[in-house]
Formats: sequence, C-alpha cells, structure tokens
Amino acid sequence: MRLHTSLRLAAVVAATALLATACSSGGGDSDDDATGSTGEKVELTFWTWAPGMEEVVDAWNAKNPDIHVTVNKQDGGDPAVTKLLTAIKAGSGAPDVFQTEYQKIPTLVSSDALADIADVLPEGVQDHFADGTWQSVTLGGDAVYGVPQDSGPMEFYYREDIFQQYGLQVPTTWEQYAQVAEQLHTADPTKYLGTFSATDAGWFTGLTQQAGASWWGIDGDAWSVEIDSTATQKVAEYWGDLVEKGTIDNKPMYTPEWNAALNDGTQAGWVSAIWAPGVLQGNAPDTAGKWKMAPMPQWSEGDDATGNWGGSASSVTSQSKHPKEAAEFISWMNTDQEAVNILVAKGGLYPADLPGQAEALASPPEFFQNQPDFYTVAGDIAKTVQPFTYGPNVNVAYSAYNDEFGKATEAKQASAFLDAVAAMQKATVDDLKDSGFTVKD
Amino acid sequence: MTTTLVRPPATAARPGTTKDRRERPSTRATLVLLLGAVYCLLPVLWVVTASTKSAGELFTTFTLAPSSHLWENVQELSRYRGGLYWRWMANTALYAGVGALLSVLVSAMAGYGLAKYQFAGKKAIFNIILAGVLVPGVILAIPQYLLLAQVGLTNTYWSVLLPSVISPYGIYLARIYAAASVPDDVLEAARTDGAGEWRTFSRIAVPMMVPGLVTVFLFQFVAIWNNFMLPYIMLGNDRLFPITVGLSGLLNQGASQPALYTSVITGSLLSIIPLAALFLTLQRYWQVDLAAGAVKA
Amino acid sequence: MTSLATTATAGTTLGAAPAGTRRRRRLAPYVYLAPAMLLFTLFLALPIGYALYLSFRTVKVSGLGLGKGARTEVWAGFDNYARALTDPAFVASVGRVAVYGLILVPTMLGLALLFALLLDARRTRTKGFSRVAIFLPYAVPAVIASLLWGFLYLPRVSPFYYVFDKLGWAVPDILSPGLVIFAIANIGLWGGVGFNMIVIYTALKAIPSELYEAARLDGASEVAIAWRIKIPVVTPSLILTFLFSMIATLQVFAEPMTLKPLTNTISSTWSPLMTVYRDAFTRDDIYSAAATSVVIAVATFALSFGFLRLVQRRAFAQEN
Repeated sequence: MRLHTSLRLAAVVAATALLATACSSGGGDSDDDATGSTGEKVELTFWTWAPGMEEVVDAWNAKNPDIHVTVNKQDGGDPAVTKLLTAIKAGSGAPDVFQTEYQKIPTLVSSDALADIADVLPEGVQDHFADGTWQSVTLGGDAVYGVPQDSGPMEFYYREDIFQQYGLQVPTTWEQYAQVAEQLHTADPTKYLGTFSATDAGWFTGLTQQAGASWWGIDGDAWSVEIDSTATQKVAEYWGDLVEKGTIDNKPMYTPEWNAALNDGTQAGWVSAIWAPGVLQGNAPDTAGKWKMAPMPQWSEGDDATGNWGGSASSVTSQSKHPKEAAEFISWMNTDQEAVNILVAKGGLYPADLPGQAEALASPPEFFQNQPDFYTVAGDIAKTVQPFTYGPNVNVAYSAYNDEFGKATEAKQASAFLDAVAAMQKATVDDLKDSGFTVKD
Repeated sequence: MTTTLVRPPATAARPGTTKDRRERPSTRATLVLLLGAVYCLLPVLWVVTASTKSAGELFTTFTLAPSSHLWENVQELSRYRGGLYWRWMANTALYAGVGALLSVLVSAMAGYGLAKYQFAGKKAIFNIILAGVLVPGVILAIPQYLLLAQVGLTNTYWSVLLPSVISPYGIYLARIYAAASVPDDVLEAARTDGAGEWRTFSRIAVPMMVPGLVTVFLFQFVAIWNNFMLPYIMLGNDRLFPITVGLSGLLNQGASQPALYTSVITGSLLSIIPLAALFLTLQRYWQVDLAAGAVKA
Repeated sequence: MTSLATTATAGTTLGAAPAGTRRRRRLAPYVYLAPAMLLFTLFLALPIGYALYLSFRTVKVSGLGLGKGARTEVWAGFDNYARALTDPAFVASVGRVAVYGLILVPTMLGLALLFALLLDARRTRTKGFSRVAIFLPYAVPAVIASLLWGFLYLPRVSPFYYVFDKLGWAVPDILSPGLVIFAIANIGLWGGVGFNMIVIYTALKAIPSELYEAARLDGASEVAIAWRIKIPVVTPSLILTFLFSMIATLQVFAEPMTLKPLTNTISSTWSPLMTVYRDAFTRDDIYSAAATSVVIAVATFALSFGFLRLVQRRAFAQEN
C-alpha cells in the first residue's frame, strides 16, 4: 500500500517536472518566424563537433545581441551528416548552420540539404581563400554552399629523439621512407615508422591525392569514377609492399592500442595533417617536444606536392529560416581576425582564411614548442595541395575502403591491396548506377 | 511431471540429514560461483582503476594498477561544455524514471485486461503485442523519427519518452503477474459488492500486483537507461542527450581530435553507479518469473 | 482490503447486476488495453508499416544530381528485396550470426542454469555477493560494455596479454579473423548471463521444497536432484529464455559496431543489422535498409513461431 501511494506521488511529481522541461526544451528548430533583420532577436542553431566553437560563438553573441547562436555538439563525421539528412527528409529538425566536411559537400548538395548563399553572402568573402579551397564550396558552379573554415594539408611527423637514437635520416622521397622504415624495424622489431590504417579512408585519399589521383570527375552531365587510376594503384601497391614485408604495422589508428604506441615510441612516425599537434597532445601528452614536422615524402626527388586530410566549411542548411543572418555569422566566423585567432587557439584548426593566417599562426602549437617555424613550413606545404574532386557517394567509397582494405591489411599481402582498389572502384560505380546517375565508363 | 512422495519423516538420526545441523559448505560449488562473479566483475574493476588514471597514464601504465587522479578526472568530465555530463545524467534519470513509470501504468492495465477478461480478439491482440518483441530498434528508429517529425516533436524530451513507454515484454510480464497474483474469486467478490471496474482494478488488483509491477518497472528502467539507438536518432540538441549518446559522442570526435578516453571511462564508471545502487537496494524485486503459474506442486 | 463475504452463488448475483454495469464490464478490457494499443499503433505498427512502404520504393537521380529536385522517389517493386536476398555480404552476415548464436546461446543458458542451480543449492556460500556480482553487467549498456572489453582485448593495453606475456605464453590475438566471433560472443555472454540467471533462479525458488525433500531423505545427491527434478520443472522458463536470447542474438548490433574501429577483422556488414545500418546511415539508402529489415523481421518471426510451435505445450502450461 505504501509503495502504491508513493508511486502515485512520484508519478505526479514526475509529470509536473516533465511538463516543465518539455515546455522549455525548445529543441533544435528555430521556431520564431520574424524576419529578423530589423532588430528582432534571431535564434540560430549550429551543429558541429570541433572544439573551440563555443568560444567563437560566445564572441559572436557578445557582439551581436540580435543574432544569437547556440552550439549543439554532435558526433564527429558521418553520424551528424546522417542526422542532418534525416531531418531534411523529414522536413523539420535541421539546424541553421552545419559543419560540412569538404568531402561531404557533394553528398549534401545532392540531397538538397545545403542552401545556396551566393546572394546573401557579404561582399569580398571569396577573396579570403585560395582558389582550390573556394572551389570545394562551389563545386565549380555559380552557387556557393558554404564558407571554408579550415583545411588539412598533410605532412610527416616523426619522433626526433628516436631518429637520433637509431641514426635515421628524415626521408624526402617515398623510396627513402621505405628504407628508413626497414632500418628502424630491423634495429628494433617492436618499433614501426608508421601503420597502414584501414579505418581511415580520408588518410588514404590524401595519399593518393598527393600522387595525382582524383577519384571522381564531372563530364557534362555525367560523373566519372577513377578510383583505380594508376596513381591510386601506385600508392596502394607501395603500402601493400611495406605491410607485406612487415616494416610498417597494419593496425588501425585512433585505437587505444595506437595511443599506447604513440606514447611508448613503437609508432615512431605519423603521416598526418596539420591538426596533428592537437591529437598528439591529447593522446600522448608526455611526448611533448619530442616530435618534429617535415614535408611529406615525395614520389620523385624535388617534387612539391601534398594531399589534404580533413578540413571543413560552415554551411547554411536549406531548412534555415534565416539564411541571411546565418551567412553573416559564418562569414564572420571564418574570415574575421578575432574569430580566426580563437579557432586556432582553442580549436587547433589550420584556418583556410589567407589574410588571417599571419597573425593567428604567429607562434607554433603548444605541443611543438621545439619547432618555432612550424607554421612557416606548414604554410609553404599548404600551397602545394593537389586538386581533388569528391563525388555524390563518398560514403559508399569510404565504406568499401574500410571493408576491402581491412581484409587486405589483415592478410598482409600486396596483391590484396590492389584487389581492394579494384573492389572499391566497382562498389562505387555500381552504387552510382543503381541510384540512377549517368556514369562515364 | 513429478509426484509428491508422501512419506513419514525419518526418525533415525542419519548423519547430515537432520534439519537443525548447518550443511557442510561445498567448496566446489562456491568456487564455481565465485569464478562467475570474478568474470563478471573484471571489466568493472578495470573501469574503476582506469578512472583513477590521468590521460598520460592511461596508455603508459599497467592497466590494473590504480592511480590517484579520479577526482581530477571527474572534474575534467564536469568541465566539458559546462557540466553537460551531469545534465546527461539527469536526462537519463528523467527518461528512465518517467518512461518506466508510464510504461508500468500502461503495461499493468494491458496485462490486467488480457489476464482477467475474456473477450473477442484477445488472443490476436496478445500475439500482435508479442510480435513487437521481434522488431529491433535499429529498424524502427528512422521511421519513428519521420513520423514524429510530422508533428514537430523530434528533438524534444517527448521524442524519447513516448516510444519508450510501449514495451511488449513489459505487457507480457504484467499479464503473467496479473494472472498469478490476482485470484478471480477476489475480483468477483469485489464486483458482487458493487465496486466498479476501475475501482476493482486500482484498489484491489493493483496492490496485489505491486511486487511484479516493481519488477516490470525495474526492467523497463534499465532498458531505457541503456538505450542508445532511439535517443541517438531523435535528438540533435546535445543538452537533451542521455548518457549513452553523450559518451559515444565524446569517443567520436572526428579524425582531427583526440578521443576523450579518460572522460569516457570516468563517465562510464559514474553511469554504472546509480544502476548498481538500484540493484543492491531493490534486490528482492528482481524476480523475473517468466512462466509463473506453470509450476504446480 | 476486500470483503470476502459472498452470500449468494455467482449465478444469482450476476443476474441481478444492472445493465450499465454489465456493459461497462464488457467494455472494460478494451478500455484497459486502449493506451497500450494506441501507443503500439503509433510507435510500432505505423513505423513498421512505413518501413514496409519504403521497402517498395527507391530514389532515382537526374543529371548530375546536384541541386533542388534532382532526386525523386519512385516505385521499385521487389527490386530492393531481390537485391537484399542476393547480396553476398548480407547472406554471409546471416551465416555468421547463426554461428554466433550457436556459440553464444547454449553457453549463456548453460552457465545461467549452472549459476542458478548453485544459488539454489543449500551448500553454496557467498550467494548474496555472487548473485549481485553476476547480475551487475546487466547495468552496463552494450556500447560501454564493448568499449571496456575492447580495452581488455587489444593486446597492447590489455592486462590479460600483459600477464600472458610475462608468463611467456603466446596467446593468439582474440581479435584475429578466426577468433573475433568469440570476442564478440563473450561480450554478449558477459552482459546476458546475469539476467538469465535471475530468471531461472526465480523459477527455481518457486518450486515447493516438498518436491525434493523426499528425494533428499531417500539419499539422492544434490546433483541428481538438480538433474531429475529441478531442471525438468523449470523447463518452461528455460524455453522462454532460450527464445528471447535467440531473438536478441539475431539482432546483435552494438557489440560488433563498437569493436569495429578497433580492428581490421570486423566488416561493416558483419551482422544483418549492421547491413541495415550501413544502408540506412552510411549509404543514405533507407529503401534497401527497409527491405533488409523486413526480411530480418520475417525470418525472426518465422523462427520464433516455429520454435514455439515445437515446444508450445511445455512453455505455456498454464493459461487462464
């Protein structure tokens, strides 16, 4: 009996609490229908996962009391895109501003998730960015689907102390890289110069990008898929050889194991991108000051090319009721010096905004105090990023990469790596055709 | 199945058979049980020791060696987005508590209706409800989202609460408890005395069903507390997340950020504590009698 | 609480009840079932129906597929189903999950039964502690459990492999292609054995002790009593637990999904539900996902129905 009464009481209390919270939760939609530009307060929601966003948004909110932005942190990468697409399909629930990774933009545009802000963007924004970067938000046409925020030019990071210990030279070509890898692994079989990660498609894409590959292409009204181009095959075979010989590890990155390896030196190098200092600091804080950054090894001596891994733009979604205000916000966030400074300091980003780089990148990252010219070197490298076109089914290609290269790396056979490339090509082409796209053969 | 053998109690004092002597403990049985306990506790032990390590220690020291940074880790976790973790904890309590409460109400009524009345379509309705157990949440998630979006309820507390209230398993259990603990003649007597149907249910049947209903509540509470897929799809505003979704977000920060392992591990530890406490304090209600009534002396 | 006084026989009392009461009584079950049926329709039946509807549709693209109106939803007939059933990845996932079930369910139920019997035996000690300890994993959500076990599996960070290393044993990597199915099954076992143990233990406690007191007096050993009396009597609970475990096994999803980023050996289509997830979330193809889900649901239903048919009498011995 006592339990029964207290259950009833609990139910009443809970129901009241529930009513109160439900009324105040508000959710992610901006449900005021004011035009906003005449001084009425506009509420914008911003879906992102990068750190540092709250600080930038706080700065904006302080300056712009009539346009208030709220950050909703999402799972990084794919899950956020899926939620956005689901909300777009459902007709409600999407945010005003979304963090769009460059490789996802064609997918989002083809699902009508992004708004064309060419008409509402403030003047002169385009001039802040390099041509290649700007192209990734326009897809070569007149429409503008976002404002670039950061990019991820790739470099080679290595443990200077381990290199000194084993008398290794910093490789400038891939041939040298293979030699150094063998030297290190023979001297100490527990150590590897790097690992081939079958779970990081973006990483592999960047490597093939450096070699001159571009997996998708546009030809009039048709798409073309060139995953199995010679450049990609060259890269796949090269790494397949190294894994088969055993001089490069075959375990995925971003696992507890890999973190442990970064800490104890069994992973003595990392082919990564400009945002690596933040990751190293988070995963291996005790190795501060022991790492150095150098340009990526090249395919021919004297070459000057690199790939891109990661980086995103900020876009306005097609469901936003305040595209003008949202466009104002994202251009400020990505081109204003104060905002760019915060993005670099708190978010560890490499800003795509060219004029803002000098001031924002005046000092090296916290983790690389031993390399004062870190950003000068990085700036030069950033200019050498090769072009690359992403298609409307990047996720399918990346998922095929995970499965096929997972099998190949586990098998440790170079021939399997080439098979994997062929399988990726087939899966991507088939998927495009199944969806009704015209695919150039 | 078995027949009760009626025999006069043995009067001869055979060693070990008289009731007042304490049984010799069996080492083998105890050992096997303890092995099971150790197996089940090992990951929990791991989480406890891992929560005491700082980020630098997590991947550099022997995993089961404890350290002393638990308080710092909790503080760091609390600093994330201004104490968002504790809001996640409160959200989870809300979803689980209110959701289970409403679910018990619905299940009790449905179970009572199915157990204590004969009516047309009873078997069909029961089978349809039971078929609901067969449908996995992953499949339902997106259609549920699309349907709720039609009424603009997505990304609110309701979007997680409402779908959690219906529990075919809970109705199944409630039906069993109703059948087993509410005798028909008691109901008949109440009706003869002039009590209305609702009064019969609420004043007479429910009190008799309470122990079983507490079990249904606990079961549904745990199910909602641990649910991942539904809130993951329904919620975009991370201030509404339950702990499961929140922690998974801490892990999946994208390639250019380190996963916040120490926070995830500390968060996992803290999330186990409320449920563990619930188990310990309400032990006697954890009696899940799936086939009640099937056993007769 | 109630007045048990009945002065008249049921027949005459019923005949004297007013018409309103009788009608209310006839409607009562429907009223009691109304909330459940409403919620069931809204959140189970309608979504299933919608998924069914989606499974017969697909989306076609025009031109480059960029910009407004480039995608239209069209009727697809049974295309999605044909593709699902002939997809080698999906068929492989079904086979894999069958093996997974064969490994997991008997082991889990066997252990649950063993632990329950030990809890019920008189000579066992540390019952209270062990019961709570074995039940505790039920408090841990599958996603977190998989993460914890992931740390225990990865050789470089695992205390087990550390100890094996120190002892000089060369234990194979449990996440290697041949053994990963055991790694995943172990997580399911860890999480489920406690709950099933409680279910069986509840049934054991309900057995009146007279049933085996006599056998004890006859000198039967505890093991014989367990085998001859206890297990047969709790068979209904065993059967239902088996059924629910089987259904849960077919729907395995969280464990392989969480372990996947840690190793090369789990593909994105390892289990049938992962295939559904891949279609719905990675490929943005909810139509194929819907078709595959319908196939899974129908298969689960057929299996459960067939299984229950087989054991019906023993499982539902007592019906009102």
